[in-house]
Amino acid sequence: MSFTDADLIARVLSGEDRHAFGELVRRHQSPVRAFLTRMTRGDTHRADDLAQETFLKAWQKLNTFRGDAKFSTWLFGVAFNEFRNAGRARNEIAADDLADPPPESQTAATDASSRLRLDLTEALKRLNSSERAAILLCCQNGLSHEEAAQVLGCPLGTVKTNILRGKETLRRHLSL
Amino acid sequence: MNTPEDPIDAMLREENHYVEDGGFTAQVMKSLPRRRRNWLRPAILLVAMTAGFGLAIRWLPWEKLTPLNASIWHSLDSQHAQLWMPWIVVTLVVASLIWGLVAALQWED
Repeated sequence: MSFTDADLIARVLSGEDRHAFGELVRRHQSPVRAFLTRMTRGDTHRADDLAQETFLKAWQKLNTFRGDAKFSTWLFGVAFNEFRNAGRARNEIAADDLADPPPESQTAATDASSRLRLDLTEALKRLNSSERAAILLCCQNGLSHEEAAQVLGCPLGTVKTNILRGKETLRRHLSL
Repeated sequence: MNTPEDPIDAMLREENHYVEDGGFTAQVMKSLPRRRRNWLRPAILLVAMTAGFGLAIRWLPWEKLTPLNASIWHSLDSQHAQLWMPWIVVTLVVASLIWGLVAALQWED
């Protein structure tokens, strides 16, 4: 029998089933870790640390989840806050927007599709964190602009602008 | 008519691979703090159970209980209900009190 996210959350909150939270982590770890890996420009160790902090926060604050958004959307919000707070602590967010783009990957790509994949990865690294987050949430994870605005804690217009600008940069870099 | 999909969207979606768990969930579960037990409800239950035991000792028909020997098993019919009925009452009351006590002790928020 498979439980919905709402069933699992209810079980965790009623205190009868700690393992229900384990099932929630298992279900949502992949998109959260992938998002944070992209946000940290491919630093998988840091991304996993942030993802662990994200689920820890989710455990502590699960009773504040009102259920008016999808659990995955709420979780992306927690993850983005963790990323932002960790970045502030490391004084990175402001620098992120001013930093020179990272050097091109030197990995030799043997075929067109893997080259394009590498190019996309490199191109995403050139976006600032707000553009990258908006693009990843909406274009990769299928969130609506409204949901992304909720996750990122910014106005809807800002999300739309960041997506337009981000896509423009990606197109330029990928020569599309 | 469908509008053609943005190639950037298509590439990003194609790049959205599943990340293998690789022990991540187990690590998260190990690092979770225990939820604080809420002692209020179990405490109320324990007080209620103690009161229940007290009342049971005071009011149950102990003096009417026939000794548990072979004769009681031969009298398990409606004519001798006065012999085994007190045992049924005592057993039910004590069992429900014990069950309540165990439930109260295992209560966790």
